[in-house]
Amino acid sequence: MTLEIPWLLLGMKLGLDATTRIFFAFTLLLWLLAAVFAAGYLAADPRKRRFWVFFAASFIGNLGLVLARDAASFYLFFALMTFAAYGLVVHAGDAAARRAGRIYIVLAVLGEAFLLGGLLIAAAGADGLELERLRAAVATSPSRDLIVALLVAGFGVKAGLLGLHVWLPLAHPVAPAPASAVLSGAMIKAGLLGWIQFLPLGEVTLPGWGAALAAAGIAAIFYAAAVGVMQDDAKTVLAYSSVSQMGFMTVALGAALADPANAAAAIAAATFYALHHGLAKGALFLGAGIKPQLRERLLFAALVAPALVIAGLPFTSGAAAKHALKAALGEWHSLGLLLSFGAIGTTLLMARFLVLAVRESGKQQKDESKTPLRLMLSAWLACVAASLAAAALAPTAASYDDLWPFLAGIALAALGAWHAAPWRRWRIPPGDLLVPAFALTRALARPLQSSVATLEHQGRRAFPAAHQRWHALAARWGQLAAAGESRLGPAASLLIVALIALLALY
Amino acid sequence: MTWNAIAPLAVLASSLLTGLVIFFLAEQRHGLRTALNLGGAVVKLAIVVAMLWGVWHGESYELRFALLAGVDFVLRSDSLAMLFVTLSALLWLCTTLYAVGYLEGSPHRSRFFGFFSLCVASTVGIALAGNLITFVFFYEMLTLTTYPLVVHRGTEKALRAGNVYLAYTLGGGTLLLAGTAWLYGLLGTVDFAYGGVVAPIVASHPGALLAIFALLVAGLGVKAGLVPLHTWLPIAMVAPAPVSALLHAVAVVKAGAFGIVRVLYDVYGIETAADLGLLGPLAIIAAVTILYGSLRALTQVELKRRLAYSTVSQVSYIVLGACVFGPLGTIGGTVHLVHQGIMKITLFFCAGNLAETLGVHRVDELDGAGRRMPWTMGAFTLAALGMIGLPPLAGFVTKWYLGVGAATAGMHWVIAVLMASSVLNAAYFLPLIYATWFKTRRGPWREQMGGREQTRFETDWRLLFPPLVTAAFALGAGALAAAPFSPLSWATLFAAREYLR
Repeated sequence: MTLEIPWLLLGMKLGLDATTRIFFAFTLLLWLLAAVFAAGYLAADPRKRRFWVFFAASFIGNLGLVLARDAASFYLFFALMTFAAYGLVVHAGDAAARRAGRIYIVLAVLGEAFLLGGLLIAAAGADGLELERLRAAVATSPSRDLIVALLVAGFGVKAGLLGLHVWLPLAHPVAPAPASAVLSGAMIKAGLLGWIQFLPLGEVTLPGWGAALAAAGIAAIFYAAAVGVMQDDAKTVLAYSSVSQMGFMTVALGAALADPANAAAAIAAATFYALHHGLAKGALFLGAGIKPQLRERLLFAALVAPALVIAGLPFTSGAAAKHALKAALGEWHSLGLLLSFGAIGTTLLMARFLVLAVRESGKQQKDESKTPLRLMLSAWLACVAASLAAAALAPTAASYDDLWPFLAGIALAALGAWHAAPWRRWRIPPGDLLVPAFALTRALARPLQSSVATLEHQGRRAFPAAHQRWHALAARWGQLAAAGESRLGPAASLLIVALIALLALY
Repeated sequence: MTWNAIAPLAVLASSLLTGLVIFFLAEQRHGLRTALNLGGAVVKLAIVVAMLWGVWHGESYELRFALLAGVDFVLRSDSLAMLFVTLSALLWLCTTLYAVGYLEGSPHRSRFFGFFSLCVASTVGIALAGNLITFVFFYEMLTLTTYPLVVHRGTEKALRAGNVYLAYTLGGGTLLLAGTAWLYGLLGTVDFAYGGVVAPIVASHPGALLAIFALLVAGLGVKAGLVPLHTWLPIAMVAPAPVSALLHAVAVVKAGAFGIVRVLYDVYGIETAADLGLLGPLAIIAAVTILYGSLRALTQVELKRRLAYSTVSQVSYIVLGACVFGPLGTIGGTVHLVHQGIMKITLFFCAGNLAETLGVHRVDELDGAGRRMPWTMGAFTLAALGMIGLPPLAGFVTKWYLGVGAATAGMHWVIAVLMASSVLNAAYFLPLIYATWFKTRRGPWREQMGGREQTRFETDWRLLFPPLVTAAFALGAGALAAAPFSPLSWATLFAAREYLR
C-alpha cells in the first residue's frame, strides 16, 4: 500500500512494509503518550507554545520518515525531525541546555552533510528514488564503500554510534521529560531505521563493514555502561543506557551486513529490540519526570517495572529481545556470550538509575496542581503498561538461560553499594569523549584560525604596490564617471532614445 | 510584425519606456511615479506569463533585425531565456513595491526609479539576447545603469564603492567585448544555438578558442563574483537594500552567471567545451569560490556583508552545475539561477526591514528580533534554511540535482564541496536564526518608524509583503519541484534540448 503524491518535492511516496509497520506503531504510541504527558508537564511553562511548535514538527518528521518510501522524502522528514528537536533540547534555556544544544546541532549538521553525500552518490546509480532501488544501487555501486561509510556516519550521529554519541548524554537529560522520552525512545531509532532502509542488507556480503559495525556496537555496550554507572544524574544514566542499548541493535545490523542469508532475521530482531527499548525507555524517562518517592509504593513499582524490563527479567520484552537478537546472529552465534556479559552492564545501569531516582525524589518539592499531575500519571502508566505488554509480541519465547546476566548484574550492583569501595568516587563528566576532543581542538584550532582570518590581509600585504595602484586607477575611473553623474539620468535616457531611433532606421 | 516578434520587444519596452518617462517626472509626483512603476511591472509580468504559456506549448518568439551588415540584433525566447525573464519579471514587481516603501520621503526618487527600470530593462535584454553581440550590448547597459543605483546615497563611502564597482565591471566588459569580437572574426556569426556554434573551427583554431573562452569567462566572471574577481561585491553593499536585493538576486551577479551558462552551452556547446578541457578548470574555480565565499561569510559581523559573501558562494553553484557534464548537473546549475534569486532576495529584503524598522545592521544585534518582527524573521529563516539546502526548500532541489549529476559524471570531489559548503552555510546562518528566535533583546529597540503603533503591521506593509511573497516562492519552488511549471521543470526542458538534440 503506497500513497503517491507525484507533484510534491521530487515525487513523494509514502507507505508501510513489515518492518516500518512496527516502527510506525511504537513511534506513534510513544509520541501520543508523550504529548498527553507534556500537556500536564508544561501546563505552567511560559514558553509552552514554542515547545508545542517544535514538538509537533519533530513528531511529523519522525512519523514521516517511517512512512517515507523514497529517498528525498526520507531526507526531508529526517532533517525536519533533526532540526525541530533542537528546539526541544534547548527548551530549558539555561547554560547546560545551551551547551547541549550547541553540541547537538554541530553533530546534527555534520550528520546531515554525511547523509546527503551518501544519498547523492547512491541516487546517481539508481533509476528512481524509491528505497528499494536505492538499496539495490548501493549494493552494486562502484563506490559502495564510500556510500556505506557516509551512511553509517550520517545515521550514526542519530543512533548514538560510539564516538558520535557524545551529544546524546548531554541533550537527552536537559530536555523536558516528555521530550527526553521521545528523543531516547523514538527519535534515536530513526538512525537505526535509516541503516535498515539504505544499507544493502541482504543484497550483498560486506564482511568488513559487518565486523566494523558489530565491533562498534559491542564497544558501545560496554563503554556506555562503564561511563553511565559513574554518572550523578538519573536522566544522564538513562541516556548512557540508550547508547548502550543501541549498541545491541548495531551488532544485529553488523551481522546482517556480514551474512545476507541471515539479514531478514537480524532486521526482525533489531526491529523488535527497537520496539521494546522505545517503550521501556520512554516509560523510564516519563517516570523520571514524575519522580515518585519510595513510600508511594505503587508508583515506585511503576518506575521499577520498565527498569526490570530493560534489564531483561524473564518473561519481559527485554529478555525476549535479547534472546531473539542472540538467535539472529547467524554465523556469529559465539558473540552471544559477549552480549550476555553486556547485559550485566544493562542491569547495573538500571540499578544506578533507581538509586539516583530515589535520591533525587527526596530533594524535590511537589507543588503541581491535580489535573496536570493526573494527565502525566495516566500517560506514564499507560506507557509502562504498553512496555510490559510488548512481551506478547516477541518473535521467540524467552528461556531462563538469559537469567544469569540479570542476577550477576544485581550482585555487582550490591557490591557497588559497599560503602568503603574506592570506585564510588570515580566520575567521568557527561559527554565523556568531548573532554579530550575539545582539548585537542583547542590546541589545533589556534594556528588554523589565525591563518584563515588573515588570508586576505596577507595577500594584500604581499602586493601592496599593485593593490594601491589598482585602487588609484579605480578611483580615477570613478571620478570621471561621478563628475557627470548628477546629469547622467536624463543624458542616459536621451542616449537610449537616440539608440532606439537609430535601430528603428534599419 | 506578428505577436511572436512583438512580444520580446514588449517585455523589454515595458520597463525601458517606464524608466525613460520617470526621469522627466518631477520629484513630488509620487503617485504617478508609483503607478507607472507598478503598472510597468504588472504589464511585463502579464506578457511574460503569456510567453511562458506559448513556449511551454512549443511556440517560439523571435525579433531579429540587422544592426550592421552581418551583425544582427536578436531577441529570442528559448527555455533558458524564459527561466531568467520570468525570474526578473517576478522579482522586479516585488522589488518595486519594496523600493517604493523603502525610499519613502528620501530625495532623488525620480533618478532612482528611472535607473531602476533601465536596470531591469537591461536584465531582460540580457535574458532574451539571441546572440553574443546583443548580449554584450545589454551587459554594458546594465553596468552603466546600475552605477547610479550603487552610489545613490551620494556619501563618500558610496562614491568610493561606485568607483570600485565601475572599475571592475567596465574592465570585465572590455574583456567580454574583446572575446566577442575575436570570436566574431573567426566565425562570422555568434548566434546562440542549442549545442553550440563553434564546432566548425575547433580543429583549426583550438588555441584561439581557449583564449577566447578565457576572455569571455573573465569578463563574465567579474559580475558573477568568481574568486578572485569578487572583491567589488561586498564593497557595493553600501547601496540601498532594494538595490542590493536586485543586484544579488537578479541583475548584476546573475547576469554574469547566466552569461557563463550561455557561453558554455549555446556558444561553445557542452560537448565541445568538454573536448577542449574547459570544464575542469572552470569547475575548480567555481568550487574554490563556493568554499572561499562561505569561509569569508563566517567572519562578517555586518549582516549585509555576510549576505554578500554568501552570494559569492551561492552564485558559483550555477557555474559549478554548468561545468558538470550531463543533464542532471545542467539542471542543477540552471535551476539555481532561479532558486538563488528568490532565496537571496528574501534575505536582502529582510535585512533591509531590520535596518529600516529597528536600525539593526550587525549580526550581533539580532537577539530577539523574531519576537518583534515574527513575519520578517520567519521569511528570513525560511530563506536561510533554503540556502543551507534543507528540504523542502528550493536550495535542496539544487543540491540534489547538482550532487547526483556530479556523482553520475564521476566527479565525487564535487560532492565533498557540496557537503563542506552545506556545513559552512549552516555555520554562518544557524547562529543568526538562533539569536533571532531563542535569545532575548536587552533594552528597547531603536525604532526607526515610531514603533508598532505607527504602522499596522510589524513594519511598513510595502516592506513586509515582498519578502513574504518571495519566501513563499522559495518554499513552493522546492516543495512543488516535481509539479509542472516549476523552475525545475523549466531547467529540465532546457537540459533536454541541450542534450537530446
